[in-house]
Amino acid sequence: MRVRGASAAEALGRLALAMSELLTGGATVEARPGEDAVVEIEGGPDLAGSAVALLRELLYRFATAREIATAIEVTGVDASGVEARVAFGPYDRTRHAEGLDLKAVTRHAAHLEREGDGWVAQAVFDV
Amino acid sequence: MSRATTTVKLRRVEGDLWEIPREGGMRVPGRVYSVGPPSPDDPALQQVANVAHLPGILRFSLAMPDIHWGYGFPIGGVAAVDAEDGAVSPGGVGYDINCGVRVVTTALLADEVRPCIGEVAGQIQRDVPAGVGSSSAVPRLSDEELTDVLLHGARWAVRRGFAAGHDDAERCEEGGALAGADPDAVSPRARARGADQVGTLGSGNHFIEVDRVAEIYEPDVAEAFGLLPGRVAIQIHSGSRGLGHQVCDESLDALARAPARFGPDYASLPDPQLACAPIRSPEGRRYLAAMAAAANFAWANRQVMTGLVVRALLRALRVSEGELQARLLYDVCHNVAKVEEHEVDRRPRRVLVHRKGATRAFGPGDPRVPEPYRAMGQPVLVPGDMGRYSYVLAGTARAMSETFGSSCHGAGRLLSRGEALRRGRGRSIARELEARGIAVRARAAKTLAEEMSEAYKDVARVVAVMHDSGISRLVARLEPMAVVKG
Repeated sequence: MRVRGASAAEALGRLALAMSELLTGGATVEARPGEDAVVEIEGGPDLAGSAVALLRELLYRFATAREIATAIEVTGVDASGVEARVAFGPYDRTRHAEGLDLKAVTRHAAHLEREGDGWVAQAVFDV
Repeated sequence: MSRATTTVKLRRVEGDLWEIPREGGMRVPGRVYSVGPPSPDDPALQQVANVAHLPGILRFSLAMPDIHWGYGFPIGGVAAVDAEDGAVSPGGVGYDINCGVRVVTTALLADEVRPCIGEVAGQIQRDVPAGVGSSSAVPRLSDEELTDVLLHGARWAVRRGFAAGHDDAERCEEGGALAGADPDAVSPRARARGADQVGTLGSGNHFIEVDRVAEIYEPDVAEAFGLLPGRVAIQIHSGSRGLGHQVCDESLDALARAPARFGPDYASLPDPQLACAPIRSPEGRRYLAAMAAAANFAWANRQVMTGLVVRALLRALRVSEGELQARLLYDVCHNVAKVEEHEVDRRPRRVLVHRKGATRAFGPGDPRVPEPYRAMGQPVLVPGDMGRYSYVLAGTARAMSETFGSSCHGAGRLLSRGEALRRGRGRSIARELEARGIAVRARAAKTLAEEMSEAYKDVARVVAVMHDSGISRLVARLEPMAVVKG
């Protein structure tokens, strides 16, 4: 999966939401009312590693709490980690039946880097 | 996805067996069993050559005829390393630790079951949780109970009453529980992912199939395996679910950081995805202990599903246990690393055999094969695609001398999932299968498109390579009557 953004934070946020789309098969998710969660993850050893760490955290929350990220604002990302505000909504087995079973977010060909006048974020999933 | 585009040198050894000569940092040559001449620019072959760089690798980096590109190691790859001085690589096992398959035989006649095959498929779909995030086949396990699963594998499930017969565990590779499992090596995160997933099918290429025994190639062996022409058999294909995925993720991360700490041989590996550690290092031991625990989780998972499927058959067909006569034929691992004794340079040697998308195929007389099958070699279960057929083979002495007792594990993907989806656009794969008399129950139409027959090699050609090379012998062919997928 490969997305673009104006900044590293925007590209990474879009990548995280794209992963949500994979999990739900593109069907909508109702965000739970209330405050967004603050997610702080250690990453590294580079930007790509931090991007993978955030996606893994979101996949873990999905696997254990059936929570899907519906909106995300990456408030900080560097080679040591990521900080983001995330709104979550519930996974619905019926509505999201066409979703993909993602086993893992791999480090293979993971990118979060400048390209032209923007940024590109890329991740490869094991399915 | 960027993949290596270099070409490898190949020379034919004999028949369907090809060699990638040793060069550069390769410690051994590559050996590839291939359906037709292999393509030198197949990135999976470069992975065979990369695996040949592993510290301690013995004789050959091997690939079975269902080879395709995988994470670090090719899928269909086999690598045996010295059990003392060699390296263990999580990429050589894969994300779905002990993904595997089992076959349950029955006394049911396919012709009698066919009129109600839709009800059978529907009952299985209702009783076995499947699909993305499937859970709760059994109540969420306590930490203590999960520890029991991680230690005892299939035996845990048999004790809980999920079984075709009382001796199911003995009819699994390794008795359904790998020694050396350490539940403490499994992280809280991995435990959390697995606690409510025992007895769930998952998604992707995992399936439950109701099959007809369509053809017998070796009647005596087939009879000993419980495979009689025209009878119904069940296949269950699944693995260690989220728990195994998490173990692999965490282990790869731990080993990929600073490989130079293990020495120059580890720092100079040609692909970072081959991240590995000396077997005797704390990191290597920890991975093997966690991997064994995850493998045991997978056996418990398939064992619980066996119990659920047997109950579904009893309910849907309104037959008695005596009429059903369900019996586990065998259960094999497709993704695992195990310490085994093999003859290397004419002397017995303890080796760690990585099989990633490959099946153990021990030959006749081997004491590690369950007693009922020992005289003929272990059952080698090779599922095909959901529209055609699957095969049961038997291990051979030649497999012991040539492939560290290993054979193929399936058809092998021909199309990426994306390409399969493109080709499936505008088609109803379910209707196509139903038109051919195969009942289909799947939560997601997309999964069916990804898994359609055209997405896979013809498994008949794959097993023919193994048979003609003497690596395993054809025993029986199974054809699907019903397919249940996530």
